Amino acid sequence: MTAASIKEKQSLIGTSVPRIGVDGKLNGKALFSNDVAPKNSLWVKALRSELAHAKIESIDIKDALNTPGCVAILTAQDIPGNNSFGIINKDQPLLAGSKVRFVGDPVALAVAISEDVAELALSKIHVTYTELASIFDPEESLAPGSPFIHEKGNLLGKRLIKKGAPELAFEKADVIIERTYQTTCLEHAYLEPDAGYAYFDSDGKIVIYASTQNPHYDQADVASLLGLEADRVRIIQTNTGGGFGSKLDLNTQGFLGLACYLLKKPVRMVFSREEAFLCTSKRHPLKIKYKSAASKDGRLLAIDVKIMGDTGAYASYGLAVVSRSAIHATGPYEVPNVSIESVFAYTNNPIAGAMRGFGVPQVAFAHESQMDLLAEALGVSPLEIRRRNALRLGSTTATKQELTASVGIQTCIEAIAPHYEAIRNKTNSKDSKKLKGVGLGCMMYGIGNTGTQNPSTAQVELQSNGGIVLYSGAADIGQGSSTVLIQIVATELGVGAEKITLVNADTGLTTSAGATSASRQTYISGNAALDAARKLKEAILTEAATMLKANRKKLYMKNGNVLDSSGVDSSVSFEQIANKAKREGRPLKWQGFFDPDTTPLDPETGQGKPYATFAFAAQIAEVEVDILTAEVTVKKIIAAHDVGKAINPESVKGQIYGGAAMGLGFALMEEFIPGKTVSLKDYHIPTFSDMPPVECLIIEEPEPTGPFGAKGVGEPALIPTAPAILNAIADALGSRIYSLPANLERVMKAIHSGASKMKFRLNQ
Amino acid sequence: MKHHINFKVNGDDYSLAVDPWRTLNEVIREDLNLTGTKLGCGTGDCGACTVLLDGRSVSSCLTLAVSVNGKSVMTVEGLAPSGEELHPIQEALIQTGGIQCGFCTAGMEMSALNLLNQTLSPSETEIKSALSGNLCRCTGYNQIVEAISMAADKMRDNAAEKEEQ
Repeated sequence: MTAASIKEKQSLIGTSVPRIGVDGKLNGKALFSNDVAPKNSLWVKALRSELAHAKIESIDIKDALNTPGCVAILTAQDIPGNNSFGIINKDQPLLAGSKVRFVGDPVALAVAISEDVAELALSKIHVTYTELASIFDPEESLAPGSPFIHEKGNLLGKRLIKKGAPELAFEKADVIIERTYQTTCLEHAYLEPDAGYAYFDSDGKIVIYASTQNPHYDQADVASLLGLEADRVRIIQTNTGGGFGSKLDLNTQGFLGLACYLLKKPVRMVFSREEAFLCTSKRHPLKIKYKSAASKDGRLLAIDVKIMGDTGAYASYGLAVVSRSAIHATGPYEVPNVSIESVFAYTNNPIAGAMRGFGVPQVAFAHESQMDLLAEALGVSPLEIRRRNALRLGSTTATKQELTASVGIQTCIEAIAPHYEAIRNKTNSKDSKKLKGVGLGCMMYGIGNTGTQNPSTAQVELQSNGGIVLYSGAADIGQGSSTVLIQIVATELGVGAEKITLVNADTGLTTSAGATSASRQTYISGNAALDAARKLKEAILTEAATMLKANRKKLYMKNGNVLDSSGVDSSVSFEQIANKAKREGRPLKWQGFFDPDTTPLDPETGQGKPYATFAFAAQIAEVEVDILTAEVTVKKIIAAHDVGKAINPESVKGQIYGGAAMGLGFALMEEFIPGKTVSLKDYHIPTFSDMPPVECLIIEEPEPTGPFGAKGVGEPALIPTAPAILNAIADALGSRIYSLPANLERVMKAIHSGASKMKFRLNQ
Repeated sequence: MKHHINFKVNGDDYSLAVDPWRTLNEVIREDLNLTGTKLGCGTGDCGACTVLLDGRSVSSCLTLAVSVNGKSVMTVEGLAPSGEELHPIQEALIQTGGIQCGFCTAGMEMSALNLLNQTLSPSETEIKSALSGNLCRCTGYNQIVEAISMAADKMRDNAAEKEEQ
């Protein structure tokens, strides 16, 4: 490829093309999952367990069925197929059969003419339980003699990573820091509660409209629950009001499929906010015992990390979090000697699954706190210790993966360095009641699923009118993947974005793009779309060469035409090409495919290549702590993110702004307490008033295997923020918080501890 | 027993018989099929259901339908009724990138309009305070603040132009 051709090709890349679909979101016409059901739909409601662990002795549905307007009561015995689902482990029943495992486990469905009648019918179902001993702590869950939550036992999974000789390194270390960190259960709090609509189409297929991040997975699991071939179920993603990982699970889809299949009638379901809180997946609370060793010149020598995770009642995406939290425990640093053990257990808590970052935000809180503690012990600045240890080209990760390209962490650190120094030079007066602090947070994040095949496919078609249609299974949940995929295809084919029609996230019309998770759609589905576009381009140029009787190598595409660059004044339009190819029976719809180059991890040593590429970031948080009220105000966040290539810079910034907000919530206020938290009244997410200005610094270290060099940013955006805020609080107070969130109580404790160390005066 | 209510929505007259427990949100969405107004929580905590009632913002999920008898409701569908020309708030939200999933957007627009109905020179603090009842989980808010400020400028300019004419 010549330099000129690259330039020509990149015309839409790096351009903030307006997002597709915004008009409907602005004028109220965009249909979300609770906007699609017609009036004649029956309502589905779920009866959910109020006990955390209990054997179901009997379910008496007689009274419920007699409720006027109630059409059916469905229980586990009505499920025609395999009553267990889950994306990795199929351990979750759609309706509990023999026992319930958490408060919120569904035991029966009411189907009725209205939502009110369905609720009334539910209240008349009599379930007789025998309560079983409940376990709410993962360590207790794995202790000998604990009652089993699942027949196979209470261990979800374990990941070990061994590199070098950590014991030896700890013996030789100049400094050793050992601390324990605790994070809490978090709620995704997407604004759109789960909902959907299902009906039988004229071909006898069950069509389900759903708010989802993964239509093709939904299709397979709904079909399995119903004992059908996958092609008898069609999933269509509606506009999706945020997901952040929780809409990777089957939240309403299975219930809708079952009720529609058995009753042969259109059905709808919508979760109340309380139901969306209690019954959908959460972020895993992790307890992280972290021991780091460094030499006196500030080099990391070894880490020993033990992670204990609570996966709740069912696995969901838990296994992915087991491995990802272990792999990322080093942070974006080269550590020659590593011992990491990550163990997750089932408990009777709410299901913990995928939530933006898959365990990495939790471990980043630990590794970034450790870096600051090491810096303090060694008398070097937090910035300097990160510089010295950050990964670079040729570094190897904990899994002994050699990084050969696109390692932007050093560049990110240098980008924020001047800002950091400038803020750091502001000093606190000893008598101030509002103490300023500044903190750093760095991270790496592997793009795509961990050490497993996770391909994407796409098709690009030239239509007879010269228009181009892109087919992709990728669900855009608000992050902007649809616009990015269009930009990639439009650029490759030399047309404007408006010339591309996108058909996406409909299992009836598209093939699988895999999940919208793991920050993978730009990199993986972007590559699949690019592959399809390249093949179509080849086909178009071949047709054009024949039609123009030209040297194929001299042809190029522009604005829907193929032109000759050899000076001959001739061109042919896409429409003419399409008509000729069609007449002569040559295909104009081409398939693209991409699967990142990974290898599975060794079960004993954890060695392998879990990801084809990594994103990197460094953020600064500037805070002010009121030492009388313990209120923490974040004054500013500066975020440098290596995204490979920002295909749509505004969308990249959008992810960073939103990620910073979620990170701020994780740092300061969010905590889901099982049994107590039921709604947005007691689960606080950041509001307008909480958000400081966020400055984005986009760093582009091109990834050679990425579409136009792109990697991903969705989850990376969130990861460094909480560590940066916690380090800033520690900087302000001279005293550190080890459990999240840093709520008023914990901050007040840290204030008193800081005051007692004579860092500042609390009382005049 | 159903109650008879007469009210306006986006300038159109409606006459309905409604159960006394039904909310304005439910009636707008289910009976009038205006689904642009969302239901995010049902408890007045998220702001996604915000509409204007006689020009002032209310949570439609906490407003009983019977209470709007004789009143005038404006929903997101009424913001740019022609559909051709966008409202300055809408234009600004596109320009600043203040929309991601879009579920909170209608409520944001209505709360913003409520503020701009009162002042066309809101400070950043006033914007943040006026919209603090509207939650967004995607955008981190800053681009929405910027958009409202931009829309205020545009509306002020438009008003000044009108005056000159």
